[in-house]
Amino acid sequence: MKILYSWLMDFIDADLSAQEVAEKFIRIGFAVEDIQKTGASFKGVVTGEILEIEKHPNADRLSLCQVNVGDDNFKVVCGAQNIEVGQKITFAPVGAELGGEKLKKAKIRGVESSGMICSVKELGVEGPCNGGILVLPKGTPVGIDAKTLFEKEDFILDFEILPNQSYGLSHMALARELCSFYNLPFKPLKTNEFKAAEGKAVSIEIENAEDCSRYSAIVLKNVQAVETPDWIKSRLKAMDTNPKNNLLIDVSNYVMFEMGQPTHCFDLDKLSGGIKIRFSKKGEILKTLDDQDLKLSENFLVIADSEKPLALAGIIGGSETAVSSGTKNILIESACFKPSLIKKTSRLTNIKTESSYRFERGADIEITLESARRIAQIIMNACPKASIENIGDAYPVKYQSKVIEVDSGKINSILGTDLSDTDIFNSLKAVQPNIKDDKPWKFQVPSFRRDMESVCDVAEETGRFVGYDIIPSKSEMRMMKASATSSSLLVADLQNKFSNLGFSEVYNYDFISLKEIKNCLLKEDDCVEIKNPLSLEYQFLRTSLITGLIKTLKYNLNRQMESISIFEVGNIYTKEEKGHKEETRFAGLMHGITGERFWKNSGENADFYHLKGVLSHVFKDFDNLKFVKAKNVPSFMHSGNSLEILLRGKSIGFMGQLNPKTSKSNGFKNNSIWYFEFSLSSLISLHKKDFHLNIKQMRSVSEFPIMWRDLSIILDKNREWADIEKAVSKIPNLVKVELTDVYKGKNIGENLKSMTIRFTFSSMEKTLTDEEVSSYMSEILGKFKKAFDAKLRD
Amino acid sequence: MNSTEWKEKLSSIKDGFSNSAIKSNAGNIDALETEYLGRKGLLMLLLRDLKDFSLEEKKILGPLGNTLKAEITSKLAELKNKFGAGSASSLKNDFDLTLPAFPYSKGSLHPITQTINKMTEVFLKLGFSVAEGPFLENEYYNFEALNIPEDHSSRDMHDTFYSAIKDSKNKDWLLRTHTSPVQIRTMEKQEPPLRIISPGRVFRRDAIDASHSFVFYQIEGFYVDKNVSMADLKWTLETFIKELFGENVKLRFRPSYFPFVEPGAEVDMSCVFCNDKKGKCPVCKGTGWIEVLGAGTIHPKVLKSCGYDSDKWSGFAFGAGVERFAMLLFGIKDMRVLYENDLRILKQL
Repeated sequence: MKILYSWLMDFIDADLSAQEVAEKFIRIGFAVEDIQKTGASFKGVVTGEILEIEKHPNADRLSLCQVNVGDDNFKVVCGAQNIEVGQKITFAPVGAELGGEKLKKAKIRGVESSGMICSVKELGVEGPCNGGILVLPKGTPVGIDAKTLFEKEDFILDFEILPNQSYGLSHMALARELCSFYNLPFKPLKTNEFKAAEGKAVSIEIENAEDCSRYSAIVLKNVQAVETPDWIKSRLKAMDTNPKNNLLIDVSNYVMFEMGQPTHCFDLDKLSGGIKIRFSKKGEILKTLDDQDLKLSENFLVIADSEKPLALAGIIGGSETAVSSGTKNILIESACFKPSLIKKTSRLTNIKTESSYRFERGADIEITLESARRIAQIIMNACPKASIENIGDAYPVKYQSKVIEVDSGKINSILGTDLSDTDIFNSLKAVQPNIKDDKPWKFQVPSFRRDMESVCDVAEETGRFVGYDIIPSKSEMRMMKASATSSSLLVADLQNKFSNLGFSEVYNYDFISLKEIKNCLLKEDDCVEIKNPLSLEYQFLRTSLITGLIKTLKYNLNRQMESISIFEVGNIYTKEEKGHKEETRFAGLMHGITGERFWKNSGENADFYHLKGVLSHVFKDFDNLKFVKAKNVPSFMHSGNSLEILLRGKSIGFMGQLNPKTSKSNGFKNNSIWYFEFSLSSLISLHKKDFHLNIKQMRSVSEFPIMWRDLSIILDKNREWADIEKAVSKIPNLVKVELTDVYKGKNIGENLKSMTIRFTFSSMEKTLTDEEVSSYMSEILGKFKKAFDAKLRD
Repeated sequence: MNSTEWKEKLSSIKDGFSNSAIKSNAGNIDALETEYLGRKGLLMLLLRDLKDFSLEEKKILGPLGNTLKAEITSKLAELKNKFGAGSASSLKNDFDLTLPAFPYSKGSLHPITQTINKMTEVFLKLGFSVAEGPFLENEYYNFEALNIPEDHSSRDMHDTFYSAIKDSKNKDWLLRTHTSPVQIRTMEKQEPPLRIISPGRVFRRDAIDASHSFVFYQIEGFYVDKNVSMADLKWTLETFIKELFGENVKLRFRPSYFPFVEPGAEVDMSCVFCNDKKGKCPVCKGTGWIEVLGAGTIHPKVLKSCGYDSDKWSGFAFGAGVERFAMLLFGIKDMRVLYENDLRILKQL
């Protein structure tokens, strides 16, 4: 919200700069986000005429100008290209003040310049730039103070108004805040106590006092749609409001910015019968000021006459009864409506106006009549023939202050302060000057502070009054044992492990598009849809982390990254028959060379076994975690080339290769994309919580030497390693089985493969003899021959 | 040799060693050791001469000699250290030591993760436990229980994404607009005293630009106990900010408004990035202050909606945008970087 400094100062009898005002506001909780200077702030600049232009002897782009400012002539260097002899310009002689700095004598490329021909930028004013100096109209007199050509220096303060700050929505209200909290003299507006002529009374009928608690109206006769005075126009412009140049229209806005009360002027001659504030009826239509045909539903509060709705209460007026250039008699409306009702109607009709903005925050019920008077006063000053016909004020239930009982102990305990009774009482008095010093204090909430409901609100006022800086920074908080949820610790541990293995953590949005759903072979029916997405790109919530990781893969491949190992922790959302399910997933992807290139050996491409290795490493400490051939993997995975991850027999996720279809539909040429995803929620629920249960027990090792033997066998190429490991599981003293080579090729024979396996033996009791080891080896070979029809390779 | 002559000799050995030590290099350091401390070294021979002196003289001269020996030994050790381990210096280099090191895989944690981890670590030390809540949240927890009724202007602060599903009471499931619903969920389940933080993802229907994202992170913190005051809040936040930005950072509390606290405060920290750029600092825009947190005393209505007796219990709550901190800590200029996942950027961390 914009506030004009000079307008604000109409209400404050003190000498404060705009900067000081802003600082004072910030301290009492009004966020001034920006101070913009307007008008002319320069000093000593005069108007002049260019008499002569010659080239600068030492610079092509500079000129030497002879400038006349009346009594004196000056020779100056000028860099602008738009100069011409005879132009009227603004001239800053040495000593003039521009942008807060005094202009000094300067030598430019060897030629002395005794001043400067100014551009709008140098003057700090608004105006045409023309790529050079400011050219004034031909008739501008020479030698006058250039300040007179521009608006006076002023400042526009930009406030970020919080939803509860209904008490600061106008110049007057903000001035009142500043004066109360800093004990500055407040200059109230003087509105005339008009006497109405004995004219016909306006009938005002309020259907429900809760929705419209007050309706004040002034009937003004013999008005004219006069041009809006300049001072009002320039103030409205500062409020980012375009003046309509009809005072009867502009005055409403002016008073709203001034006093905070939204008002509306009807053309009285277009009304039939009295005013009725009622709910709209189904089928009624209101042509609004912005020429929309608004279909009213049954629960919109409207201002109506005996025939039709005239305005959407508190939000927007109707065009049929609006004032126009021919208007002669008006009815000034100044009312107070229920905030939530205005808010709701504004939401449902999607109409937001300065008026609805104020009413939905709560207007001051006590100033309706005064605001209407202020409007009448401004119009009557401009239209001498205008006269007040009637003043109506329907105020069914008079404002009753809520009373909050306050004692200093409570205030101090909320703030953590040790303030004296006097300090606290003074703070209460700043908000409610009528408070009496009888304990316990009875704080009557002023009509403009309906946001205040309890003693906590009063404590905040005390805080604003004394300043939050007074609150000490000290604590006697009791000891409490902090427990990170086991999930957050476990997640952090996994994140660290993956990052230590070369994986980079990425963050993707939870939102996905229908296209992504299709490309990743997900089911649209499983996806929770967003009613109001930012765009179709973000229409659904993800049901797997695959979409984001594929997006990330694409992004980085497009940037020529050749090694991609990434992971993400994120939530997924699945629609279910009844409701939905949300869980946290951990997923990752490998593609391209593993790690960076090294000069000793070129990098290896990531494959299934790399990913399996990563997961085995990460899950090293999880007992009961197994990889088994996949029975159930999502369709975006290659079902044959995937494993399921089981923890205590329960499936928590999967790993393997992407379905070639997924790769293809996402535009990847190479299907060497290795992906895993598991449910953190499942992992956590199956994980043992107690620290001591998660610790591995140490085993002793043999003190005797180890013995090892290599064995090369040839067997059917479809035989699986798991079976081989299983076959030797009962051989005594066998401590390690390592696959050291797998070979398929011509000299082996089709459908066969050769495997070289190293067997390591060790006994806890003695040094094994050669014979013992040889007997173990022949037992092994025997098992292989029998079970797999394996042959020894020579 | 009398004792005077012995002392003169000792002092000439001392001077001689000092001179040689200055000129010494990796090549002659071993020779220098032999010259003075070797079996036939100058100092050793002189010490051996002590046997001819009387017991009284030995008592005076002995310590002098031993002191010099200790000095020379330690100086030699220092020199050896300086030139590299003594005898190894004679071994010649036989491969290129400047070739690139083996590139052990370097992964990275996302800057937001790193920021949250650091924040969590600090708060754990202060006795805050970590709690979590769903992202797809119920309207009740996100708004109503937090004193943000429908058709109240305070809802305007939250541009909300609504899902197409509703609960059995016809309330909307929406993407939570802040981490504050975790306050309600935690208080519903547990009895005070409570000291909780909850970092996590939140959503607002904001257009994306350098300082806005429709997906971002907050960290929520709250403490409910008897007689909790704004002073406790101030101390907690000051301690937290100092852990991240140093002991010299200052906090400024300004009155502000959040529907679920009263009194409410906006918290600024003094700009620690200005240095000598006074007035032109791009971080604080010359104001000297950076807005970092919102906070306040938990509104009695919120306590009541969780079934707490607001006369008996009081509390403070605060919330901060994690991105703001990440951007300050890592020098991130544009928030969009955080969701682009450019590995060239992420791998720097």
